Amino acid sequence: MTKKKRCICHLLVMAYLVAGNNTLLARAQTYDPYESLQRRIQGLGVQHAGSVHVRSLGRSAEKRDLWLIELGRGSAKERQQRPAMLVVAGIEGNDLIGTDIALAWVEALIKGDKTDKTLSALLDTTTLYVIPRLNPDTIERYFAPCRIETRVSHQACDDDHDGLKDEDGPEDLNGDRMVTRMRVKDPEGDHILDPKDERLLIKADPLRGQVGTWRILQEGIDNDQDEQWNEDGPGGVNFNRNFPFNYSFFAPDAGIHQVSETETRALADFVVAHSQIGLIVTYGAADNLVKTPKVGGDPGRREPLTAIDEEDIAYYKKMGETYRQALGLEKELEGHTEPGTFSDWMYFHQGRLSLAIRPWSPALAVAMFKNEDKDETPDSAEASKDLEQEDPEKGNSDKKEDDTNQEERQWLAWHDKHAPEAFVPWQAYDHPDFPEKGVEIGGYRPYALSNPPAQLMADVSTKQQAFLTEAAQTLPRIRVRDIKVKHLGESIFEVKIQVENTGFLPTCLAHGQRTRAVFPTRLVIDVTDIRLLSGERIQRLSTLEGSGGMAEVRFVLHSLKQQSICFEVISMLAGRVSGTITLNQD
Amino acid sequence: MHREIQRPDTSLTSVFIAGLCLLLTMESVTGAQTQSTPVNPAQYAYPALGATAERKVDVAWNRYYDCAGLEGIMTRLHQAFPHLTRMYSIGRSTAERPLWCLEVTARDVGDPARKAGMYIDGDIHGNEIQGSEVVAYTAWYLCHQYGQNKQVTALLDKRVFYLIPTINPDGRDFWLHQAHGSSSSRSGVAPLDNDQDGLCDEDGADDLNGDGHITHMRIKDPQGRYKPHPDYPDQLMVRVKPGEQGQYTLLGSEGIDNDHDGRINEDGRGGYDMNRNWAFDWQPNYVQRGAQDYPFSQPETRAVAEFILQHPNIAAAHSYHNTGAMILRGPGRAGGEIKSSDERVMQLIGERGEQILPYYRSIVIAEDLYTVWGGELDWFYGARGILTFSNELWTSKNLYKTGQSASQEQRADFLKYLLLGEGIIPWEEYDHPTYGKIEIGGTRKEWGRIPPSFLLEEELHRNMAFTLYHAHMMPLLRIVDVKVTVLTEKLHEIWVTIENQRMIPTRTAQDIAHHISAPDIVSIAGAQVKALSAGKVLDRFFKKVEAVQRRPERVELDAIEGMSVARVRFVVAGTGPFTITVDSSKGGLHKTQGRLP
Repeated sequence: MTKKKRCICHLLVMAYLVAGNNTLLARAQTYDPYESLQRRIQGLGVQHAGSVHVRSLGRSAEKRDLWLIELGRGSAKERQQRPAMLVVAGIEGNDLIGTDIALAWVEALIKGDKTDKTLSALLDTTTLYVIPRLNPDTIERYFAPCRIETRVSHQACDDDHDGLKDEDGPEDLNGDRMVTRMRVKDPEGDHILDPKDERLLIKADPLRGQVGTWRILQEGIDNDQDEQWNEDGPGGVNFNRNFPFNYSFFAPDAGIHQVSETETRALADFVVAHSQIGLIVTYGAADNLVKTPKVGGDPGRREPLTAIDEEDIAYYKKMGETYRQALGLEKELEGHTEPGTFSDWMYFHQGRLSLAIRPWSPALAVAMFKNEDKDETPDSAEASKDLEQEDPEKGNSDKKEDDTNQEERQWLAWHDKHAPEAFVPWQAYDHPDFPEKGVEIGGYRPYALSNPPAQLMADVSTKQQAFLTEAAQTLPRIRVRDIKVKHLGESIFEVKIQVENTGFLPTCLAHGQRTRAVFPTRLVIDVTDIRLLSGERIQRLSTLEGSGGMAEVRFVLHSLKQQSICFEVISMLAGRVSGTITLNQD
Repeated sequence: MHREIQRPDTSLTSVFIAGLCLLLTMESVTGAQTQSTPVNPAQYAYPALGATAERKVDVAWNRYYDCAGLEGIMTRLHQAFPHLTRMYSIGRSTAERPLWCLEVTARDVGDPARKAGMYIDGDIHGNEIQGSEVVAYTAWYLCHQYGQNKQVTALLDKRVFYLIPTINPDGRDFWLHQAHGSSSSRSGVAPLDNDQDGLCDEDGADDLNGDGHITHMRIKDPQGRYKPHPDYPDQLMVRVKPGEQGQYTLLGSEGIDNDHDGRINEDGRGGYDMNRNWAFDWQPNYVQRGAQDYPFSQPETRAVAEFILQHPNIAAAHSYHNTGAMILRGPGRAGGEIKSSDERVMQLIGERGEQILPYYRSIVIAEDLYTVWGGELDWFYGARGILTFSNELWTSKNLYKTGQSASQEQRADFLKYLLLGEGIIPWEEYDHPTYGKIEIGGTRKEWGRIPPSFLLEEELHRNMAFTLYHAHMMPLLRIVDVKVTVLTEKLHEIWVTIENQRMIPTRTAQDIAHHISAPDIVSIAGAQVKALSAGKVLDRFFKKVEAVQRRPERVELDAIEGMSVARVRFVVAGTGPFTITVDSSKGGLHKTQGRLP
């Protein structure tokens, strides 16, 4: 264990250096629109043809390519037979940072390949699949003249079920090229201003005698004059809600059925065709690393498992610890699940270790960049002091009242200090739908809560990359540990073959076994010139635990003329090895 | 004389007279000559009730057809009845066979896309073949009876039928063309690694004796636990009693160990179940065997789903299986979606089915059969709100019409006395590479799950009659009344009454609950007419109206219930002509004109 830990630390440092270096040299702190992303991806394929293989999994609804980058040396066949990891980003329409992390990671690995033996060994023995942007269509809207944050693909939808499509969407009223929020001073509203920070609103609580005075809406007008604002704008499918496990039928963003979209089907077909993928990382809204996810008992025969199997949870826990260490998090944060995610499908139905990462959120921002506040300039030190001062203040007055909205205030304070541009101050606006009422437009800028500010992009990306590199080292890997041959007389031999797993993860998770989605490891022996007296030509091995887990296969055979016999051990997730048994009569 | 009666004549008397003349002629001829005339008997046929005399497309309904045969029937029907049919493929199977659909409706009476649609398919399980003949028979019957039979004419004037005889053409032809048993080839033909050895479909059953059927293998074995039936030694094997010495060990289906892994027939073609691949209440393989990797992963199921999504007018559906004589409805799993008002309508239609179909039981899959996750009818109902049945065709109760399932001895008797031994494959010796000297024998694949020739046509007609009843009960709307009352000189009320003349509502409770199709919309338009208020009438006598909050020119109705009316009132200003439109996904598009004074 200690040996492993040290190795992990070494890797961490190394990945920091590699990735950080690269970011400084190569790129500005912005996100790539489709065209430049495509150039960057194709460029990698051309410049590093020996280790980078680029192809399109298909085309999006708006005819953009769904690029797949495959890292690893050797022939296509060899790469398909090695332990493999898959990273999926940009599957949700507002995830820009995920794409950036995934692609920067690829670039860092290529760069490190020349200088770092561990990385170069990784590319010799492992296949890394990276899909940097599964939803290029929606993400492209980030670069549109007017920014409206959305996770869904754009399709005409009847969100309010009145038989009309998209008749009332949001608008940029104040001409700041983005859609934020509007708050209306309105006795019909159900919000009040947060007394401690009037930029924020709180839902009025009638139990505390609070009477709503503000209405909070998305920026826009009531296009169809039905006294509902923006109730039927362009809607569509969140690809990361479109997968079969825990799929939410009839939810507005789930799609007409599971795997209904071209893009999600391309991804599903890809993983089905690449059964050697044993570890998956998906960037999106869900997260099972900041906190160890829930455990579930055995559901019983023919019943679906709904929480991580108790035998598998240790691997999630371990991965979570590694992740939090890479990000510099001192403790667990609140995890997050969503229905129908790709990530959950890969564990619950496909039996693979599947990690979900929410690469940015206000809570993560506060946790990741809190400590550094203290070491910074006096100015910011004071700001963080303000932050902390909320606690004693809270102690003095009524506790319950003070707790309300505390987290939101903390987030806003964080943004004031680190990314003041993220919050657009409320500005009065003369709204045609509310002639008598005060209307203000403002609030968080689109994408500000889901993607880090420009100046922190590199830092966030580097830490994530360090984790990905570490995760890639955990894949299961089989090898032949020992072959024992005993001559029993008259060309009859007893043969024992020991196979071990030198990786960290097991050759199959408990749930991989339950689902039968991960096939048992098998040993196939060439019987051309022998007669098996005991043992099968195809012998199944039990699951090999990581860090040296072992299984032994025993044969008694009669050799007809052969001095050596070939065999092959084939594991779905841990690669394949072949070996030779030498029969010696002495 | 001959010439005259060759012309088909619908008048019964003239046919009768012509027949008499024929008889007289023939009698006089036989008197004089010894040689008979080889006439076409079809030209002298007298129609039985249930089928037309005139047959533009002649099909023998006492045999089975492969995909090419079904395509031939449909193509001929399409050529013979161009004004009633369209023929197209809704997609392609794994092996690139087209999924042919014959759309049947009176094409020049109303817009086919706006008529309530009845979708019917068969053969999702490749070996359950007679469903395809039922669907083809339905197309054949509807085409020939249009203009002849009043009810059929009304059906095709007001409804559209989407008839897809087989949605698993690969499985069908695989079963028909290759050696099989009665229950093999349920799957499609996409390769699958059933035994997890890295190879797909490498060890299926083998027709060792080359007779075109997969039967059983047995080996003489004094330690065996089976012996021939004392009364049917050539056909039946029975277990010996405890303590009694046996004569044979049964070795399973005909086959060898093709891949030398020490097992026989463990990985045949395909091996999945397309009726577990539908995107509602779907569960993966470890919960529901045969489900495949994700819903609609197979080209066949996906093609059907896309077709249904493109046809929001489809209001009823049926899917044929075998066997067991069951009229099945959902849900497929305990606790699955079913709204009580929808269940009530299904029950009523199913009860009629029990009468139309002797020995059939109208039952719920989850409660009365077994659990099915991701079944076809659950997607049709659960996800699309379409009332759907699945008939399990054929039962051995039909063998002797006693209402009891036939025992194995009775079945053996049927083969012997009614089929004169046909269907039996006598035990024959065979030298097996693993087992050595064995015997192979049993029954042909056609025995057990599909009717013999002379019982087939009845099965086709009765099942069709049930689906026609189901289709008849699809919503049928009529604007009964548009009444204008004067409020002031410039202000009028318009009262619109719309009737649903059938049992199925325009939108099922499931449809309404999940906003599956658009609401029914009753709207008013007129150059000089302005709607000021509108609403659904809650009480026609007290004139209670629930006014709409917006857009007073249109009223959204959740549904127009079965055998019931909906009423809408508009308050309008202006003068001159106006049009009332009723726009219902499944109830069609209806317009009527009126005029303000």
